Amino acid sequence: MNDKRNIREIGKTSATDRDPNTSDKFTFWLAPKVIVNPFDIVEVEQVSHEGKSKTFGLVTILEHRTDAPTHLANFISSNFGELTEDPNTPRQGTTVAHVNVLSNNNNIYMPVPSEKVVKFADEEGIQVALGIDTMNPENRIPAGLIKMSNGTRAVAYIDRRYVLGPESAHVNISGISGLATKTSYAMFFIQSILQTTPEKDKNKISVILLNVKHGDLLQIDQRREKESNIEQMEMWDALGLKPQPFPSDKVHYYLPRGKKMNRPNSFLEPSFYETYAYDFESTADKIDLLFAQIPDTYLTLESIISEIKEGTRNNEPDFKDVHSWTNLLSDKPLFDKQTKLAVKDWRGIRGSSIGVFRRHMRRMVQAGQSGIFVDARSSREKSLNEEILKIKGGHIYVIDIAQLYEHEQMLVFGDLLKSIYSLKAEQPEDRTEPIPEKVIFFVDELNKYAPAGSRPSPLTELVLEIAERGRSLGVILISAQQFMSAVHERVTGNCATKIIGRSSSTELNQPDYRFLDNEIKSNATRLSKGDLILSHAVYRQPVKISFPEPAYKQQES
Amino acid sequence: MPNPLSSITPLLEILGKEIKILPATGGAVEDLQHPDQEEIEDIVINNEMENITAFAEIPEPDPQNIYYHTPLLSRTQKHLFQFFIDGSIRTYFLGTGIEGTRTFPIELSQIGSAVIKREDDGELRVFDHKQRIVLLLPRQNQGLSDSIWNQIQKIEKPDFLEVADFTLPDKLADIKKDPRDKAGAKARSLMHKLEIDLIKSTNSYRNENRWLIIDGAVKFVEEDIWNSWRQNPYLIGVAKSFRKDPVFQFGHRTSQRKDITGILAGLPHAHRTAVFSAFDGQVAFWYVRLREQKELDYPLMGVIKVEFPCPDRKPIPSELANLISSALIAERNVTPYGLDRRWHCSLYPIHIAEEVIKNRFFSSEVLIGCIKWSKPQIGGGL
Repeated sequence: MNDKRNIREIGKTSATDRDPNTSDKFTFWLAPKVIVNPFDIVEVEQVSHEGKSKTFGLVTILEHRTDAPTHLANFISSNFGELTEDPNTPRQGTTVAHVNVLSNNNNIYMPVPSEKVVKFADEEGIQVALGIDTMNPENRIPAGLIKMSNGTRAVAYIDRRYVLGPESAHVNISGISGLATKTSYAMFFIQSILQTTPEKDKNKISVILLNVKHGDLLQIDQRREKESNIEQMEMWDALGLKPQPFPSDKVHYYLPRGKKMNRPNSFLEPSFYETYAYDFESTADKIDLLFAQIPDTYLTLESIISEIKEGTRNNEPDFKDVHSWTNLLSDKPLFDKQTKLAVKDWRGIRGSSIGVFRRHMRRMVQAGQSGIFVDARSSREKSLNEEILKIKGGHIYVIDIAQLYEHEQMLVFGDLLKSIYSLKAEQPEDRTEPIPEKVIFFVDELNKYAPAGSRPSPLTELVLEIAERGRSLGVILISAQQFMSAVHERVTGNCATKIIGRSSSTELNQPDYRFLDNEIKSNATRLSKGDLILSHAVYRQPVKISFPEPAYKQQES
Repeated sequence: MPNPLSSITPLLEILGKEIKILPATGGAVEDLQHPDQEEIEDIVINNEMENITAFAEIPEPDPQNIYYHTPLLSRTQKHLFQFFIDGSIRTYFLGTGIEGTRTFPIELSQIGSAVIKREDDGELRVFDHKQRIVLLLPRQNQGLSDSIWNQIQKIEKPDFLEVADFTLPDKLADIKKDPRDKAGAKARSLMHKLEIDLIKSTNSYRNENRWLIIDGAVKFVEEDIWNSWRQNPYLIGVAKSFRKDPVFQFGHRTSQRKDITGILAGLPHAHRTAVFSAFDGQVAFWYVRLREQKELDYPLMGVIKVEFPCPDRKPIPSELANLISSALIAERNVTPYGLDRRWHCSLYPIHIAEEVIKNRFFSSEVLIGCIKWSKPQIGGGL
């Protein structure tokens, strides 16, 4: 045991013929009764031109070695397998910790010599180790708490310029559902960004949250019912953040229209909300988003969609009487009322293809829809596109899609991305208010919208556009999914900050996790609920962090 | 890193300058020890143990029944053995010296000894440790002339460095014929001297509840040390390898004559033999079987020889021999199986003492790197 919780000296470095210390790694043995865990940060004295320097390292794995050359030697030493045998002298052994070098405070990357005393780094040392000391205090966003085996705690700050731009942007969170606490972390992180934004800039950031599961994000303006315990309060305090819900006057909820009269299609109804719906006229230019998951090997569906988009945009004669979904599916130009069949040929497209298109469309917007598709929107039913074009800095917009069918979710997600992108790319003529400089967009289950694969759908293209060019426009994607390998690599590759929760070893062996050492991958398979591995552009190695439970009210299934 | 053995350089420089040197291949070659070195040493030290005719135990054992059951007595029941001592040696042949018509080997030894203290919870720590480097040279008609020897003696040397004449009378070296073997045996004698120093360091800590185990025979010490054990024995010697030729004769008939194999083959597990007398009663010794015979290849495996110094030539009480034997049986585990071919009779703390010494020796690479002859003096002139 670390008898004194603030114990610092824990062992000595050890270089051997077979296992040398290098510029990247070193090894040390632990003094008896010392407890060290993976992800502890340690320091060792190193040479420097000025005399001495400190090399910091991250413990990745520990192993216990004895002088027994084989397991057979241990079997024999237990009197040939007697379970009750208690040896007179315990076998000599020691625990050896393997360490990845994080940094040296004088930029000396000589291998750490053997026989040097290893200490736990203190709070200041941890920050030097991670490069936090080089961050401008104004740019520091608390991303979690680093807790070491000796009780030392330090805030893992990440650099605002690498989260919100201009250096780099985007955050991606992966891990097994239920254990990785991805949504809770994303919400904590957004809280952290908003609370640490200087007052003068608070009105320059908007947040759009997609609620994809139950009513998780539909009460973020309300305080949780069960008060946080002391430990949680201490974590908030240590992070320098306030455990408070998002301000009611800044939160806006948008729930999808449902089939029941005047009721949204939602797991729960917040005390204030708007309802959104899709009519044909506001959706015509986004029909392709509905087809994101429908195979179209010969691009026939794509050509029909293009004709419809062009036709409605240019008000072509064929479409002058098409104002609703019913018009589109039951009248010209795609349907012949006389024969009650799809037209045989339209603009060089064969009738059978048009029939396929109609069948899909009927299923998606009529027979198999949740209620968001209407032939005409009532005055209370908002167009999300119009609402997004009006977003204000400092406000949080929650769009609920939890109860929608998959194709509807695709449409809403794509609509939001398109709207944000167009808002940021070109200010609407009728808008007088300044456009928020940064729009943070949080989406869970990103693999649905930007799946891995060589041929991206129109929706995936939109996500890629945001991932690759969003930084320059100020659109920041905070995304989450169970499996990073299931997401398009160009999206995750553009995220300067990656968070990994508990994941399976099969998943961690995918090439998407190449940035993690094998030892760290092993640790990621046994992370506790609420513990995450944080990889940030500024850090030389990923670190383990924990974060407090959300301060807002949550609904579980 | 500076040369850790730079103090040898002036000695080698004198030798290189004053005599002709044929350096060993690669600068130095390690002399491998005889695999049964301890048994050979046992034969030399215990040369009087050829015929065993008396017991050294009271009450006197019945020659017909010389096996005693000594059930295991673990450390947690009684922590009897708390100090363990061992010595170790590594010898290198540096080259052949030629002075006049005399040719002789030049040898270098690293010798060391360590005492391990075992705490009541079983943890081991180094209680004391000594280490030296010895340059072994012959003198006079077998080697160096007096003038060169005197020059070498005049050079200031650090404490850890010693120059020894391996032609001086020595119990272990005298039986060797080959000068290289003689030098090696001399180094072993010097190693035993270090062991004796360390035995002394435990004097004030040993008592009836804290015993010391010496690796090997007890009769290698000088007379004054031997006599000091009159007041404070509390030590035993434990030999893993011992001479296999003693004959035990208790009675006049041929049927009452037994060889060691016959005695040990019948020795059951967790038993000891009766205590025998040697050196006219000055050493009491017996054998203890640590392991079941079925676990091992042949009857003499798993048996240790225990030596107890009796400076006053009094036989030892059976209870004491039982206590010592029971405590020794508990020492069988853990065992250095795979690390020592004599694992079956090895005492782990002794093995650790040896590891401590060896790990503090300079590696062969370092040592060979430090041996630099000033300039080859040999050439066409020979």
